[in-house]
Amino acid sequence: MSKIEEVKANVEKGKTKLVPGLVQEALDEGSSAMDILQAMIEAMGVVGDKFSSGILFVPEMLIAAKAMSLGVNVLRPHLEGGAAASLGTCVIGTVKGDLHDIGKNLVSMMVGSAGFNMVDLGVDVPAEKFIQAVKDHKDVKIVACSGLLSTTMPAMRETLAAIKASGLSGFKVMVGGAPVTPEFAFEIGADAYAADAGSAAVKAKELALSL
Amino acid sequence: MLTKRQNLMETIKGGKPDRFVNQYEFMEIIMEAPLRTRPKPGETITNEWGITYSWPKDQLGAFPVHDEAHLLLKDITRWRETVKAPSVEFSDERWAPAVAHADAVDRNDKFVTVFFASGTFEMTHMLMGMEAAMMNLYEEPEYMHELIDFLTDYEMRYAEQIIRRIKPDALFHHDDWGGQIASFMSPDMFAEFFLEPYKKMYGFWKQNGIELIVHHSDSYAANLVPHMIDMGIDIWQGVMTTNNTPEMIKQYGSKISFMGEIDSGVVDCRDWKPEIIAEHVQKACTGCGKHYFIPCLTQGLNLSSFPGVYEATSRAIEEMSKKLF
Repeated sequence: MSKIEEVKANVEKGKTKLVPGLVQEALDEGSSAMDILQAMIEAMGVVGDKFSSGILFVPEMLIAAKAMSLGVNVLRPHLEGGAAASLGTCVIGTVKGDLHDIGKNLVSMMVGSAGFNMVDLGVDVPAEKFIQAVKDHKDVKIVACSGLLSTTMPAMRETLAAIKASGLSGFKVMVGGAPVTPEFAFEIGADAYAADAGSAAVKAKELALSL
Repeated sequence: MLTKRQNLMETIKGGKPDRFVNQYEFMEIIMEAPLRTRPKPGETITNEWGITYSWPKDQLGAFPVHDEAHLLLKDITRWRETVKAPSVEFSDERWAPAVAHADAVDRNDKFVTVFFASGTFEMTHMLMGMEAAMMNLYEEPEYMHELIDFLTDYEMRYAEQIIRRIKPDALFHHDDWGGQIASFMSPDMFAEFFLEPYKKMYGFWKQNGIELIVHHSDSYAANLVPHMIDMGIDIWQGVMTTNNTPEMIKQYGSKISFMGEIDSGVVDCRDWKPEIIAEHVQKACTGCGKHYFIPCLTQGLNLSSFPGVYEATSRAIEEMSKKLF
């Protein structure tokens, strides 16, 4: 097994103590930082797929993401401009009136692991704050809106309407959360719906590459 | 006509119930029992454990505050220095309303029921935040085992007190073990950390006169049902439709009963309609049948977020009893 393959395998397994050393060894052996990063992104893709399929659970996903994050820290000085993200920026938040953050945090972590620079606005985020974040950050490709309560679905609808009415462009909007269905996402004008954190990462990548 | 208690027992033993058990009707929950401080809408409080909860007025419930300033347990390796269990000793005066309530219950009709929340898993993430609680299962398993044992011991000491005071017949115990479509952790990991502590704890309640253990987890948790049976749960309350309850009843019905199948997130909304509730109730009752099943909102108490929903659900269940019994 090559060192890069070892990095990949150990990110998948969430070996937080091993991954930084393996990344350093891969660099020492002459592997490029971008190749190592790509291997880790692929590993997180596998983790996301297994999570969506019910093979892996939240702890495995979190620990794999942490392993990758520690690996990226070793890589960062070797990446151009110190940036690990290559797919652009994703602005994420839980919509106004909703304070749930666990699902949003998982999505943020997985989308970040797929190669996005994350701007996490937190919870109870009014539409204007999403719009301002798009204006304030370079290269925004995705806006992701989360909501756990059926009572905050109207806020999600209003958020999407406000984003569309802002006239801003160059990005796609995706939505998710327990009460959200693909039908509702379509109805309110979202570009995509994701059922869980793993599929959110896949969908975000697809959307960004489609721009 | 059977009493509510008799009808419940006939239902969960596969006997001859004469109607559907109607939601929480068989439990008289003694909410006056002293346990811990809870915020009211609009309040932010720090409870006896040192956990800060906030209940914004426009929200349906309280949330733990886990920002840097309020998170209680920031380093699991130092939990012994940080986590101090509150006293389980309360004065006679504090117990008096609970004792009076329990004394007034006709135990032939209803189970005098203890309410206990938050359960051991929830406590771990209330103390340190969900991400840390999950990752520490991998990174610091020994400390997590220690903390879980400590929380288990606390609950058993509380159980001792309340059993002595009100001699309850049933326990209604909250611990959410999953989200809408998956359990938070794998069955193996759940078994490694939570099965034995729960067996010990639920065993203790049962050895001390509790006849019925009702466990609330309004989530998917079908993959954990074998462990639920093993730890002594009689009724899993909060079972969501994502679990395929009819199939679970076929597979496990003689060992555990299922209470729920009417998803609160779907029917308990601002613009609720009785006919929509009736549709969900009908689907639940016809799909799950008369044994090992209690039609109920998945909400973790005998109430609804929006006024009238709980009562409309009860009326729809009564109608289904008339049709199917």
